[in-house]
Amino acid sequence: MTKKLNLTPYLFLAPALLVIGVFILYPIFAVVYYSFTDFNIVTPPVWTGLKNYTQLFQDDVFWLALRNSFIYLLVTPILIILCILLAIAVNRKLPGINAFRAIYYVPVISGSIAVGYAWRMLFDTNGLINGVLLSAGLLQEPIQWLAEPALTLPLAMSLTIWLGLGFYMMIFLAGLQNIPEELYDAALIDGCNAFQKHWNVSLPGLRPQIVFVAVISSLAAIEVFNEIYTLTGGLGGILNSGVTMVFYLWKQAFRLQHAGYASALAIVLLVITLLFSVFNIRSLERGSEQD
Amino acid sequence: MNQTHTAARPQPNVAARNAARKRRQITETIFWYALLLFIAAITILPLAWTLLTSLKGPNDAIFAVPLQLLPKDPTLDNYARVWKQLPVANFFINSIIVSVATTTLNVLFTALAAYPFAKMKFWGRDVIFYLLLATFIVPPQLTYIPGFVLARNVFQYYDTLLALIFPNLATVFNIFLLRQAFKSVPNDLIDAAKIDGASELRIWWQILLPVIRPSLATAAIITFVTSWNDFLWPSLMLPTMVNKTLPVGLAALQGMFASDLRATAAGIVMTIIPILILFIFLQRQFVRGMTGAVKG
Repeated sequence: MTKKLNLTPYLFLAPALLVIGVFILYPIFAVVYYSFTDFNIVTPPVWTGLKNYTQLFQDDVFWLALRNSFIYLLVTPILIILCILLAIAVNRKLPGINAFRAIYYVPVISGSIAVGYAWRMLFDTNGLINGVLLSAGLLQEPIQWLAEPALTLPLAMSLTIWLGLGFYMMIFLAGLQNIPEELYDAALIDGCNAFQKHWNVSLPGLRPQIVFVAVISSLAAIEVFNEIYTLTGGLGGILNSGVTMVFYLWKQAFRLQHAGYASALAIVLLVITLLFSVFNIRSLERGSEQD
Repeated sequence: MNQTHTAARPQPNVAARNAARKRRQITETIFWYALLLFIAAITILPLAWTLLTSLKGPNDAIFAVPLQLLPKDPTLDNYARVWKQLPVANFFINSIIVSVATTTLNVLFTALAAYPFAKMKFWGRDVIFYLLLATFIVPPQLTYIPGFVLARNVFQYYDTLLALIFPNLATVFNIFLLRQAFKSVPNDLIDAAKIDGASELRIWWQILLPVIRPSLATAAIITFVTSWNDFLWPSLMLPTMVNKTLPVGLAALQGMFASDLRATAAGIVMTIIPILILFIFLQRQFVRGMTGAVKG
């Protein structure tokens, strides 16, 4: 290698680094600064010290949003289990199997806004769900799905799961297809039944995919917005029942023009994703030591 | 699936066993098809019902006991009503412009950046790379507050499509994905070109990019779909109706036609159809692309 500083690599990097520098790195520092100010996003920020943070920790809605965001993380284990089962189901050579895989993929590309509004119609008091339940005689009275605070989060989480099924299924399917066939043959010779076969061979073989899906889907769960927005019509649900961290951040910054306060919220959110990722990476390392 | 491997030992009553096995295989096949169809129904039903609702006229019940799924008198009136009230054609063109421009430039920029990370030695390489990876955990919504200030006061592109394109011209995910692709290209290929006197830029463009084409397609598809379906940032940036993209326009429609389920359904269908057509044509690339990303 030459000792002289070669500019070529830096020139290759320049456009991408410029974009990421301006639109991701600079904003982190800017948000740290805004979080110590009173700022309405239009007029210049005014320094107020720790006021936003002290106010934040006394804000009931903040604690509710934090709680809701943690509840939302439940979609991750559910998605992992459902999508592994789904991947096992479609990992066989049946005529037309590719058509099924493609159909399962349709929600993924349809986009959470369009699908979110479709779900909103589905769970409308006059929607399909009530129609089916009433016609089948399972209900006497229609349920107000969207107006019931206890149902806001479960509905949004079901939507997130429904939107993600096809995507994560494909990831696990690719993982399953990388597992050597001989391992399954050996399991059969050892007398494993179908369940033991997947428990002893598929699950360990899918470890990298499980870690990947855990990281990606839990970040997505913490950052969830579109599902809440569409299902609650942009209001966050009755009694803030659907307000998550990111929804509250958006509401404070862009609905109420409390951008300084929202910045403090954003910093708390960043610390949470940081701790979470460290936790994820450490469990990943522990896993690879075992292998 | 694998029963054939175990039947090595000679067995009495071979014919009977074979018949039993065949019966079992048929039952199993029926079971799997039933399960696959059931899941397909869960996947497709909400969208199919939306489509059917969008075709119902004012006298067709959306809600009835017993259930009425099919429109008795199918009509396109709901589409006409939405089309007249909202500049849907503008939404569509805006979405195309934003997604195509973002995808093309993003893949270009990230492919440029990925090459030195994979194949060159330079001062600060690992530090820069891990710094980039660390930004992966930054919630995008955090960047929207300073991004909003930049858009209004610095770049002056508030309420234009540029506001949607510029912040997405490079993504860490694509740099990571394409770096893996460049890494798998043998060094001999690059060394041979260097001996012939080719510049790094020419090697990148003429030799490496064609080799990593499948990964470029993956990066392009992921970027396109993400950009097409992006909502929160575009909704902050595009207050003027004719400037909106499809998802933002759909949200506006939902506000206007809140109680009109038929019109809302028509709007949803119009939003999904374009990307669905693209998906049908590029199905294999889509699915392979999205899964290829994981190994990266």
